[in-house]
Amino acid sequence: MSDHHAIVTPTPEGFAPHTVAHHYSSHEQEYQSCTLAFWLFLATEILLFGGLFAAYFYYHGVYPETYVLGGQQLSWKLGATNTCILLASSWTMAMAVRTTQLSKKGETLMYLALTVAGAAGFMVVKYIEYRAKIEHGLLPGFYFDPHDAELMGDPNLAMFFSLYFTMTGIHGAHVLIGAALIVWAFFGVLKGKYHSGHYLPVHLVGLYWHLVDLIWIFLFPLLYLVP
Amino acid sequence: MASHADNADGMHHAHVVPAKMLAGVLMALFFLTFITVWVAQFDFGSANMLVAMAIAAVKASLVMAIFMHLRWDTAINNIMFLGSFLFLSLLLIFTLSDFATRGDTSPIYLERAPLVNDTSPEKAY
Repeated sequence: MSDHHAIVTPTPEGFAPHTVAHHYSSHEQEYQSCTLAFWLFLATEILLFGGLFAAYFYYHGVYPETYVLGGQQLSWKLGATNTCILLASSWTMAMAVRTTQLSKKGETLMYLALTVAGAAGFMVVKYIEYRAKIEHGLLPGFYFDPHDAELMGDPNLAMFFSLYFTMTGIHGAHVLIGAALIVWAFFGVLKGKYHSGHYLPVHLVGLYWHLVDLIWIFLFPLLYLVP
Repeated sequence: MASHADNADGMHHAHVVPAKMLAGVLMALFFLTFITVWVAQFDFGSANMLVAMAIAAVKASLVMAIFMHLRWDTAINNIMFLGSFLFLSLLLIFTLSDFATRGDTSPIYLERAPLVNDTSPEKAY
């Protein structure tokens, strides 16, 4: 390792300077290393949800009528609302990254707050949906106990709801994790740590949030519309 | 790769996405969501899944390229992320082609190869 003084990135007035971690030879290397590592992580997330999608497609092939019946129990309007909420929150997140790059603290805080509001709205709609399912006894697998005679007739419907709850549940967990990360970024911006010279953490949190949106873009038609 | 211009000082220089482009992408995504819902009312039979996934893929491409910045990013980041879809497609192709070629009930599969000294009754697979 070369003997060099700490590398500090250019910092606009009123913000906290960022020192490049000592094991990187330059700021550019720090940025690219961290970004690449994060993309690698996002690739594993794709594989996580991909496995669930594989299960979905397989059982759709075996029991297509079950999927039709199951899909009818879901509200596509609520699903579409959630899709629009997440798309809008992806936009506010992208705007937040942009304003961080431009060192606009107030606007960044606003866009981050709007993104968290989107996450909250999504979870509220999710709660409404789950509550309706639970009230009708449409629970995953072993706990499946429909109150409706028509639904009791299909022995494989429990499997559909196992997949529904697993896929939307794990996705919902990611929404909550993403919201927590955005709150963390919010406080970093508030303290003036993130600006044109150091926007990497906001960028990476943004990537996570866009991934959450990406998953839902595929989940929505598969669960709500195709059946 | 605009984000690595002027690298003599080793500093990372941000590529800022124009606000108009971000807003345009959002409008496109809303429109494609509307199309997704609208198209779902028509029954294309077995192509239903394909149509839904195709529209979702377009939406996903917009999010990846513009919101996630991949369009202006290094090749390796693109390879990493798009590579995961490639491997996922391997999983899906093998799983679904296994499933799609089951259920053959032609006699050759039902016929049991005769064993020496075997007196057990005829079994189907």
